[in-house]
Amino acid sequence: MIEVRNLHKSFGSLEVLKGIDLKLEKGKVLVIIGPSGSGKTTLLRCFNLLEQPDEGFLRIGGVTLEFKGGSKLKRDQILKLRGQSGMVFQSYNLFPHMTALENVMEAQVTVKGKSKSEARAYALEMLVKVGLGDKADSYPHQLSGGQQQRVGIARAMAMDPEVLLFDEPTSALDPELVGEVLRVMKSLAAGGMTMIVVTHEMKFAAEVADWVIMVDKGRIIEEGPPKDVLENPRSPRAAQFLNLLTETV
Amino acid sequence: MDDRKLQIFIDSLLPLLKSAVAFTVPLTLISFAIGLLLAILTALARLSQWKILNLIARFYVWIIRGTPLLVQLFIIFFGLPSIGVTLDPFYAAVIGFSLSVGAYGSEIVRAAILSIHKGQWEAAYSLGMTRLQALRRIVLPQAARVSVPPLANSFISLVKDTSLAASITYVEMFRTAQQIVATTFEPLLLYCEAGLFYLALSTILSSLQNYLEKRLDRFSAR
Repeated sequence: MIEVRNLHKSFGSLEVLKGIDLKLEKGKVLVIIGPSGSGKTTLLRCFNLLEQPDEGFLRIGGVTLEFKGGSKLKRDQILKLRGQSGMVFQSYNLFPHMTALENVMEAQVTVKGKSKSEARAYALEMLVKVGLGDKADSYPHQLSGGQQQRVGIARAMAMDPEVLLFDEPTSALDPELVGEVLRVMKSLAAGGMTMIVVTHEMKFAAEVADWVIMVDKGRIIEEGPPKDVLENPRSPRAAQFLNLLTETV
Repeated sequence: MDDRKLQIFIDSLLPLLKSAVAFTVPLTLISFAIGLLLAILTALARLSQWKILNLIARFYVWIIRGTPLLVQLFIIFFGLPSIGVTLDPFYAAVIGFSLSVGAYGSEIVRAAILSIHKGQWEAAYSLGMTRLQALRRIVLPQAARVSVPPLANSFISLVKDTSLAASITYVEMFRTAQQIVATTFEPLLLYCEAGLFYLALSTILSSLQNYLEKRLDRFSAR
């Protein structure tokens, strides 16, 4: 379903990803954790080419790409790979000049070429799925952070991606709003959606993840089922990071 | 104000209004429309990855911003005929003013596009949009809102700048006032009257700006 081999990415002289390998099967949830600056967000952004890897192999669904020495990709290749995934951003990034419904409709029409009525019906279905059927005509600034993020999820889902990518989806939220977003994510996972989630929500990782990887300094330093990684980390560095997290909570 | 002056003032109202409606307003609207299109294209050229486009756009803005509008109008109307290009004063004026709006406006549009948060582009890309789709559907509509106040400034400047067309023999409102002065010898009265007309036009445009801002504000919390 998703396969990554030897993925490298540098920004200038700073090597952010130093060879990442991972595999994820359809319908599974992968949670990526790690200290800030570890490269976990960059890794996630490589999956839909918001960052282009310098080297390595990437396969999502039926689309395969190989990167070599920063060679430029063709536009078609980029669009094809992006079509395989949907992304949910830390800062939501909803389109402020469109209503919730229009946000979810937009790419269905411009990218997939659906008719407006078809897109509208499907957008409404997605909004209902995230519990916002009654907010279809609200503009983003009229919604709470939690609601905006749920619209963001509906927007990504409306493109029927093979995998949903979450970049710290609850980090910008007030604590009392985190729950509603996590609940939606849980229900998606239960519905068989393949998901890759970068997060600091350890409880979510423990309950929902099928597989957890911990990234530090551009390498995977620990991986396994959540129970193993979160409760019995093997490396001292991983244990130290997890201690730090539980201390601050 | 004595009776003679009052009479001249009243008699001049209609000719000034006529030339404003028939010449100043069309010149302004057409020049602004073409200028705005030029501004958007130039801004996109400046933001493009193609070096040559970028260079051409920079050169254009450099020339137009670096030389007086009056000099540009003289070159177009009085200068070009010596290399065989003779233009009607109206077309000469439209070319001059459009180029000017395009150059200044391009910086406004460019700044407005750059002011849109990077996350908007990324969200569009993550949904599979091309650069052009993201620009057209996501970024430009938001940039339009940002650029309304500075573009309204340009628009109002342009209305007043069209009086420069008088110097290349285009009979717009100011030229009409000059002609009335020539027969009545009342420069203070007539030029003030013309000034009032420009003030009225600018006021109309300001309210248009307010209306546009309100309309485009419906989606923003500002």
